[in-house]
Amino acid sequence: MENFRVLIVDDELDFLETILIRLQRRNVDAVGVSSGKMAIEMIEREHFDVAILDVRMPGIDGFETLREIKKRRPFMEVIMLTGHGSVESGIQGMQMGAFDYVLKPVKIDDLLDRVRKAFERKAIHEKKSGR
Amino acid sequence: MAENANKLTDRIHYILPYLPGVLTIVIALPVWFAAGPILGILAGVLGMGCTLTCHRILVRVREISDQKACLDAQLIQSQKLAAIGELSSGIAHEINNPLAIIGQEVQWIRHIVDKAAIGSEHHAELDESVTEIGKQVKRCAEITHKLLDFARKRDPLIQGCDVNRLIEDMVRLVERETAQKNIAIVRNYHEGLPELYTDHPLLRQVILNLLNNATYAIDKDGTITVKTLRKGQDALEILITDTGCGITSENIRKVFNPFFTTKPPGKGTGLGLSLCHSIIHKLGGDIRVESEPGKGATFIIRLPMNYAEGENLI
Repeated sequence: MENFRVLIVDDELDFLETILIRLQRRNVDAVGVSSGKMAIEMIEREHFDVAILDVRMPGIDGFETLREIKKRRPFMEVIMLTGHGSVESGIQGMQMGAFDYVLKPVKIDDLLDRVRKAFERKAIHEKKSGR
Repeated sequence: MAENANKLTDRIHYILPYLPGVLTIVIALPVWFAAGPILGILAGVLGMGCTLTCHRILVRVREISDQKACLDAQLIQSQKLAAIGELSSGIAHEINNPLAIIGQEVQWIRHIVDKAAIGSEHHAELDESVTEIGKQVKRCAEITHKLLDFARKRDPLIQGCDVNRLIEDMVRLVERETAQKNIAIVRNYHEGLPELYTDHPLLRQVILNLLNNATYAIDKDGTITVKTLRKGQDALEILITDTGCGITSENIRKVFNPFFTTKPPGKGTGLGLSLCHSIIHKLGGDIRVESEPGKGATFIIRLPMNYAEGENLI
C-alpha cells in the first residue's frame, strides 16, 4: 500500500470510475467524488494528502474548489487535471497554489508519479513547519 | 576645468603603478655601463617582470571592478523590485476594502433604481451607468487580487525535479495555442541533466509565463526555441527564445518592473515578468533578457544545482 490518500474530483463519472479502479489496482488508497461541493465536504470529514481536481465542473469549478481546499487544508497538495487546458488557466492554477497542471488524457503511471511528487512536497512542507 | 583635472588624475593613477618597473628598465643601460653586463641584464629583466606583473594585476583589478559594478546594478534592481512590490501590495490591500464597499453600494443603488425609477425616462440610462460602475469595480478588484497574489510570500519548497520534463509539460500546454498561430516550438533539451532541487510549481509558473509572453510577442508565424544546458558543476540555464517583435533598448531595462507592459490597456497587468524575476531570485538564481528589436528576444534563467531537499534558500 502506498502511504498516502488521494481524493479524485471529476464530474465525468466514467472517467472517475476508471481512474479510481486503476489507482486502487496500484495499491493507492483513493476516493472519488463528482463535484466541488462534495469534495469540500469530504475533506472536512476525512484526511487526504493529495487531490486531483477537474478544472471544468458545473457548480463549484476546479479553481474555486482549489481555493476552498487550500483555505481549509493548507498542507494538502492539489493537481489540476483538464481536458480543455489553456495557458491562461494554467497560469491561474499555478498562481492559486496548485502543485501541477496536467492535460487529459494522462497515463495512469505518469499521474501516479505526479501524485507521489505532490505527496513528497506535502511531507517536506509539514516537516518544515514543524508538524 | 574640474573634468579636465579629473581626467589628469585618472591618467596619473593609470601610469603611476608602471613607473617603478619602467624606471628599472631605463636605468638598466647605465647600470650595464657602470657595473657590467650581468647586473645590467638583471636590472632589465627585473624591470620587465615588474612591469608585466603590474599590468596583469591592473587588468584583473579592472575586471573585478566591472563585475562589482554589474553586481551592484543587479542588487539595486532587485531591491527596487522588492520595494515596488511591497508598496503595490500595500496599496492593493488598502484599496480592497473601499472597493468592496463601492461594490455593495452599487448593488444597493441598482435595487433602488429598479424600485424607484421604473417607467421613468431616465431608467435605462441610470441602469446602464450603474452597470458600468459595477463592471469597472470588478476590473479594479481583479487587479488588486493579482497584486496581492503577486506579493504573497510563498516560501519555496525544495524537492528533486526533472527539469526537462517539467518544461516539456508546459511546452505541451502552450503548444495547443501556438499550433493554431503557426508558431513552431523547437526543443533543445540537454539530455541527462542531473536532478535539480527546486520548487516545482514556482518554476512551472515562470516557464509558463515566459512561453506565454513569447507567443504574444510573435503573434503568428514564428518559432519559439526552448533550450536547457549545464553551466559548469553547479548551475543550469534555461533559454526561451522567440522570433517575435523584440524589445527596444529603452524598454529592456524596464521589463522586470511591476506594471510595465506594452500590451494594450486591460490586456495585461504588467506583473508577469516581475513575478518571474522575484520567483527566480527566491529560487537562488537569476533571470536576464537579451533582445534585438525586430528579431526577437531570449530570456535566460540560471538556477543553482547545489541545493538539497527541504533546504531553505533564503
